[in-house]
Amino acid sequence: MSGRTPMEPLVRIRGLRKSFGPHVVLDGVDLDVREGEVTVLLGPSGSGKSTLLRSINHLERPDSGFVEVAGELVGYRYDGSKLRELGPRAITRQRAGVGMVFQQFNLFPHLTVLDNLVEAPVAVHRVPRNQAVSKARELLELVGLAGREGEYPGRLSGGQQQRVAIARALAMEPRLLLFDEPTSALDPELVGEVLAVMKDLAHSGMTMLVVTHEIGFAREVADTVVFLDGGRIVESGTPADVLTRPRHERSRAFLAAVL
Amino acid sequence: MSSSDTSVRPSTAVLTAREGPSDQELLAARLVPLRRPGRWVSALVLLVLLAMLVHSVLTNPRFQWSVVADYFLDGAILRGLALTLWLTAAVMATGYLLGIGVAAMRLSRNPVLVSLSFGFVWLLRSVPPLVQLLFWYELASLYPQLSLGIPFGREFVTVRTAHLFSGVLAAYVGLSLDVAAFSSEIVRGGLLSVDQGQTEAAQALGLGRAKIFRRIVLPQAMPAIVPASGNLLIGMLKATSIVSVIAVQDLLYSAQLIYNQNFLIVPLLLVATLWYVLLTTLLSVGQFFVERRFARGSRRRGGGRGFWDLLRGNVPLLGGSLRNGLVGLS
Repeated sequence: MSGRTPMEPLVRIRGLRKSFGPHVVLDGVDLDVREGEVTVLLGPSGSGKSTLLRSINHLERPDSGFVEVAGELVGYRYDGSKLRELGPRAITRQRAGVGMVFQQFNLFPHLTVLDNLVEAPVAVHRVPRNQAVSKARELLELVGLAGREGEYPGRLSGGQQQRVAIARALAMEPRLLLFDEPTSALDPELVGEVLAVMKDLAHSGMTMLVVTHEIGFAREVADTVVFLDGGRIVESGTPADVLTRPRHERSRAFLAAVL
Repeated sequence: MSSSDTSVRPSTAVLTAREGPSDQELLAARLVPLRRPGRWVSALVLLVLLAMLVHSVLTNPRFQWSVVADYFLDGAILRGLALTLWLTAAVMATGYLLGIGVAAMRLSRNPVLVSLSFGFVWLLRSVPPLVQLLFWYELASLYPQLSLGIPFGREFVTVRTAHLFSGVLAAYVGLSLDVAAFSSEIVRGGLLSVDQGQTEAAQALGLGRAKIFRRIVLPQAMPAIVPASGNLLIGMLKATSIVSVIAVQDLLYSAQLIYNQNFLIVPLLLVATLWYVLLTTLLSVGQFFVERRFARGSRRRGGGRGFWDLLRGNVPLLGGSLRNGLVGLS
């Protein structure tokens, strides 16, 4: 927000480190995500992809390093010599601008599909309810679920639930969408419908950061593919470079295993 | 046929050496569920025993049912009933408000709040409710006056405690704190049963902490909270009779006061018991509807069994299951 030049990336991550006990999950990660681009994070499980994604929403607190979204430090403020953690209100405000889609959907099971989409805009942005409802209907149509407003999430298939979850994130009109393995919990025949919605989003210019094992999606949609291993970025570049001509032994082994 | 062949692939042997009913016969046959005559025998035995019990209770002159009828709507009994009802309601409402707060404190990340709620629950669960009641009632003899001021320093306001706590107020405060301690553990258990992903999803949407608690986590914890709370409520309905020790006239104490004068002990205890049975029945029915309300969206609800379906299902000789039962018996 403050003095950001148009060339500056929407997300800037520098020197991010995070350990859980003795286990180092992120070991100094630098990453830029430019506005309107799709970045896919690849890597074996335990390589730190999810933790990196969750740090952008301050769902994980880094041990050192920082994350900036739209020129604003996430979770901290700089007071001239120290990074001081923000209070819950400020963090809540920052999170409202970044949408997140989870592996397990995490829809609110006690609310109808419509209320899942309406809850946050009304509570956080103080959008009038009828306005939030019509916006929610539009979004449900966008993800191909018009007419399912009154259902409870438990009655939908996994693919439908994940599409509702994407619509729920979009209802907050985020500048950035984070996807944490959005298709890993789905039956194989349901993966396509979720990826199709994500492709549409990408083509509409949404900035997306996607952790996935869907190499086909990365090849087709990503502007940048980043390969993580052992908490470090091993290589990054265009899909053509990273996916067809990987330079590192680790990425080559990973791609050989998943393709 | 050669033994080695059949031992490896027995199915071919069965297929070739097939006898008995044809596929057509099997397809045309009616499916008969497993018959369970044991259920009918046990139901019959229980019914006979129940009839014997009811008969003996009704015909035994020492129960003095005519006296029970005389006192059932007696003024003193009804006043006691009213006190029991509103004291239970007030105690449960206050206790649960506190209990939800204590549970939220216990699950917070603030170590001060965690210790405070842990200490509160530990203390209140340790002290018998009777002792607590007497403590509040006799507060004046322990702390003759209460003051507001600087700790260990000057005092600004001083209140004499002699008439601060009437019997009813002491009962209300003491029992509310007791309920707060026990309900907080019930609520905490419910809150822990809600998947952490729900909180994270709500956080990612930018919802505030209070909102997440009230709108997302607590409603989902309710199915786990309600059954145990029904227990606590019905227990408290009867446990309020403890207030008789500080001369508060609840339902049971009113009955006791009457039989202390006329010595009709059993019929008056029956009057109180019948009222407790009636109230417990109403509360159990209420609990059913509350549970169904909070089961919205849960997969376990299935085909939406209504209250009457459930009742009929539990009374096999009445209503719907009679036909199925007879079929099973034949």
